[in-house]
Amino acid sequence: MTTLRELPEFLDAAFLRGLTQRRITRRGALAGAGAISLGAFLAACGIGGNQPSAATHQNWVWDKAKKTGTLDFGSWPLYIDTAVDSAGNTTYPSLVEFTKETGIKVNYSEPIQDIAEFFAKIAPQLQAGTPIGYDIIVITNSIQLTNLMLKHWLVELDPSKLPNFYKNGSKRVQNRSFDPGNRFTIPWQSGFTGIAYNTKKISREITSYNDLFDPAFKGKVGMFTFTQDTGNLTLLGMGIKPDNSKPSDWQKAADKLKQQRDSGILRKFYDQSYIKALSAGDTVISMAWSGDVYQANLSAGNEDLKFILPKEGGLIWTDNMCIPVGAAHPVDAITYMNYVYDPKVAAELAEAINYITPVPGAKAVVEQDAAAATDADTKQSLTDTANSSAVFPTDADLAKTYYYRTLNPAEATQWNDIFNAVILS
Amino acid sequence: MAVGTATVRRPALTTRWGRALAPYLLIFPGVAWLLIFFLFPLLTLAVTSLMSGDFVAGFQFTWNFNNYTYGLGLYATQYSHSLEYGASATLIAFLLAYPAAYWIAFHAGPRKSAYLLIILLPFFVSFVLRTLSWETLMGDDGPILGPLKSAHLIPSDFRVLATPIAVTFGLAYTFFPYMLLPIYASLEKIDRRLIEAAEDLFANRVEVFRRVIFPLSIPGVFAGVLLTGIPATADFVNQTLLGGAGTTMIGRVIEQQFEVSANYPLASALAFVFMLGLLAMLLLYQRLFGTDELVRAR
Amino acid sequence: MQVEKTAAPAAGRQHSASATDAVVVLDHVSKRFGGVVAVDDLSLDVMRGEFFSMLGPSGCGKTTTLRMIGGFDAPSEGVVRLDGRDVTDLPAYRRDVNTVFQSYGLFPHLNVFDNVAFGLRRRHVGGAEVNRRVQEALELVSLAGYGKRRPGQLSGGQQQRVALARSLVNHPQVLLLDEPLGALDLKLRKQMQLELKRIQGEVGITFIFVTHDQEEAMTISDRIAVMNHGRIEQLGRPEDVYERPATQFVAEFLGASNLLDGVYRGTLDGWGSVELAGGDSIRIPAPPSALVGDKLKVGIRPEKLHLYPDGREAPSDHNSIAAILRNAVFVGVSYQYFFDAGGGRQLSAFDRNAGGGPIAGPGEKVRVAWKPEHTFVIPADGMAQPTPTNHQTGRQDK
Repeated sequence: MTTLRELPEFLDAAFLRGLTQRRITRRGALAGAGAISLGAFLAACGIGGNQPSAATHQNWVWDKAKKTGTLDFGSWPLYIDTAVDSAGNTTYPSLVEFTKETGIKVNYSEPIQDIAEFFAKIAPQLQAGTPIGYDIIVITNSIQLTNLMLKHWLVELDPSKLPNFYKNGSKRVQNRSFDPGNRFTIPWQSGFTGIAYNTKKISREITSYNDLFDPAFKGKVGMFTFTQDTGNLTLLGMGIKPDNSKPSDWQKAADKLKQQRDSGILRKFYDQSYIKALSAGDTVISMAWSGDVYQANLSAGNEDLKFILPKEGGLIWTDNMCIPVGAAHPVDAITYMNYVYDPKVAAELAEAINYITPVPGAKAVVEQDAAAATDADTKQSLTDTANSSAVFPTDADLAKTYYYRTLNPAEATQWNDIFNAVILS
Repeated sequence: MAVGTATVRRPALTTRWGRALAPYLLIFPGVAWLLIFFLFPLLTLAVTSLMSGDFVAGFQFTWNFNNYTYGLGLYATQYSHSLEYGASATLIAFLLAYPAAYWIAFHAGPRKSAYLLIILLPFFVSFVLRTLSWETLMGDDGPILGPLKSAHLIPSDFRVLATPIAVTFGLAYTFFPYMLLPIYASLEKIDRRLIEAAEDLFANRVEVFRRVIFPLSIPGVFAGVLLTGIPATADFVNQTLLGGAGTTMIGRVIEQQFEVSANYPLASALAFVFMLGLLAMLLLYQRLFGTDELVRAR
Repeated sequence: MQVEKTAAPAAGRQHSASATDAVVVLDHVSKRFGGVVAVDDLSLDVMRGEFFSMLGPSGCGKTTTLRMIGGFDAPSEGVVRLDGRDVTDLPAYRRDVNTVFQSYGLFPHLNVFDNVAFGLRRRHVGGAEVNRRVQEALELVSLAGYGKRRPGQLSGGQQQRVALARSLVNHPQVLLLDEPLGALDLKLRKQMQLELKRIQGEVGITFIFVTHDQEEAMTISDRIAVMNHGRIEQLGRPEDVYERPATQFVAEFLGASNLLDGVYRGTLDGWGSVELAGGDSIRIPAPPSALVGDKLKVGIRPEKLHLYPDGREAPSDHNSIAAILRNAVFVGVSYQYFFDAGGGRQLSAFDRNAGGGPIAGPGEKVRVAWKPEHTFVIPADGMAQPTPTNHQTGRQDK
């Protein structure tokens, strides 16, 4: 995801959480487009004319590195369980337990609000060989993630240190096309890209990608401004599997989008603000991310919006944990990465975050927690989580979802130019 | 007496060098600032725009003029959007700001500052938030269009958002203070006795405005048009929030090429062309409506 | 919306017009700003073709009066008539009057030609005619060939002439001049005074001139209204106002005056007789508007005094009093003397520098003498008594 997001200052995370109770999605909370930092421009100036990094595979890390008892963890806002202690400070119960079990103290921060922006910030440091100050960062599968891997800016993971991942992780997340063999990354949480529509304004059932092209919805259809989402979903809609697609297919997909645009059916290529437009009635049908729809209905107090994966296929994306080169505490990092694949921990996180957990076994734990809950609200909330396809998707759902086409840099340029010719018009 | 003269003269001699250096010392910080924060990035931009390669393999300087021809071919429409929306927004801002500035300068009496503050108050709020609230206000079923549609005063598929109109008015609104303030300053500066002189010479109110007040406010209008026109043309946030498909401005393309596609050479080429284009128009504008002569005459 | 002003009849602009024909009439005009009275129940006739001055210290109401004639301020009470027509409610741009402002008010964005042509163009005068008249006006003020310059490129004196040309070119019925020479240096100022007088004579337009400079007013005016506290203290020809000031204010504002307290003792040999506070008896022009026994002040201008060293008698037809010279100041063309005339009375005198040095040294006794007809009389309370000196200087109340 390369979204344009900025959290207005007064909308602090704790405030939002209080407003929306427990079930808040990270993406939903960040709704609203932000100004784009042109600081990235200057930062980028420092990158011109670089050579491939001399540092290659980092296996030697695992021979030499020792546990230090410290972990610097950089993630996204609203993407972990929180509590408030007696002094009024925000705490992270799952991290507290981790410290208790392993003796590793976690410095948790939320520096990432936009992949492109964050990448622009760390790239010059990584290029210069300076540590960026984090042992774990959470990066969405994207051109930026591919670049991080291709530049050898991520530490290659040691599978022997990730037994929980291989034991408890779902088969779907163990097979991600953008990181075959899980060499550099393992998932934190995932989500779907599909179609959402307003059931109050559209009486028939929406099942197909082609419903986004229905002239009946003229001027009320929203698509994503992100070339990865829009391009890949369109390829799927045309019956082409993204990873098998060729540039000529991309051009065909772009032509289809162009026709949607020129006929006036399309209203706008939206960024994160799509969900606001859908909620406000500016659009009635739109490309969407799974978690947002759930959250929007919760905020509105109704079930007007419905999220579906089109029958032609939907997209799955994953936010991935990875260790940047130069990390000071790699052993502590990989220890934590393994730790969150414990179903109990995964359940704790899932209950708080409500995105697709990579650990199917967490569902049983959530159900147990629901059964054990004493007050009715909590019980209902936990039951909802356990039954939510947004947290524990069915195999049928997973079977028709695909990752984005993996793009090497040259392909990425070509891909962006082809789709931007329509999207950035 | 002679002793007194000598003691006075000695420090004068020692400060002679300081006096000669003073102008250079005074302009040094400004020049250094420009060198570091303007000239250097500009140079980097120019160099980057002639590179080829990709992010992972690295970019090499190869006199790759292809970035320019390719970029211009691909994004000519977006350049023209920028021009079109920027110019219209400037015109609208002018039409809105001039009467307001005029009224405050000539008719607001002792409460001028209060009125100025009231007009500028909304602009203390971050412009992203302001534009976001526009989005809510002008929604298809929002508080303005909703009731009009219910009353069948406008067709149900009428919309403001996701149109060039919304972008233009959004830009005009965003940069309104940059138009208002210089115009106000130039109107406020006008010698009121000149207005009496014009009345004395048989000019009625309309003629006083046309022949004296407006010509004398032209420096303010000139500055206002620059201060509004340049950022409005370069802006992309308004277009991102308020525009629809087919309204993209070049600023957004540059931003996307930089941040998302990491195609620095192309982004640099696009930015450079944009800058040169603006500069050319600036010079032309200065040539046509410049105030050199007026300034000199004063 | 263009409203043509009533064109003045061509004859009205000529100098040959009857001298008794009032072109501006102020009828019981008052102007208050908040609680402050700027002009207080003022009535005034200005005759066609005359050079009329309003003279007074700042704040005396002269500029306000001018602005009411020009249409920039509306009177609180009273009527303003222009060429017989009530213009009280007419805005400035519809009055056939032009003003030369103290600040000149030249338009900085227009060149000299366009500045001068401004009024003609507002009245839709044809292009060729504009050309001709502007050139004519610039020639009149000796600025032919300056048309292309901007006001900012001209000297103060030149700007002043442009302002004059800009007004004159319109051939207004009345030209108002608000301290137009105030910003010029002394030499230029003297030169412009003469030039103004010349131009006024050439064009024959009525000039109403506001100044605080008594010498300037006397140099160029046909008549002067001396103003104080929003009222006219005295109105008349410069000579009359100077030689026979009606009030202490006028006497002191217009040049220096020696004022002496006395009591009126009646007439003698066709002269009035006054007993001064020090006991001397002097003769004054008779008959003053005073009764026997009335207190009054007599005044003599310093240049009218003749000095005789101690021991020499003054001519018998002169008034004379004894005094002690305190100080003699050399001022070039003359000496200025300061005397102590007893009883705390201070006198001053000018004596032409005809060579031979001062007439006496400090501390020496002298006789100060003057012709009786050079004495003027002011009622002792010193209050303003706007008594017209003769039939043609003031406007009689109906």
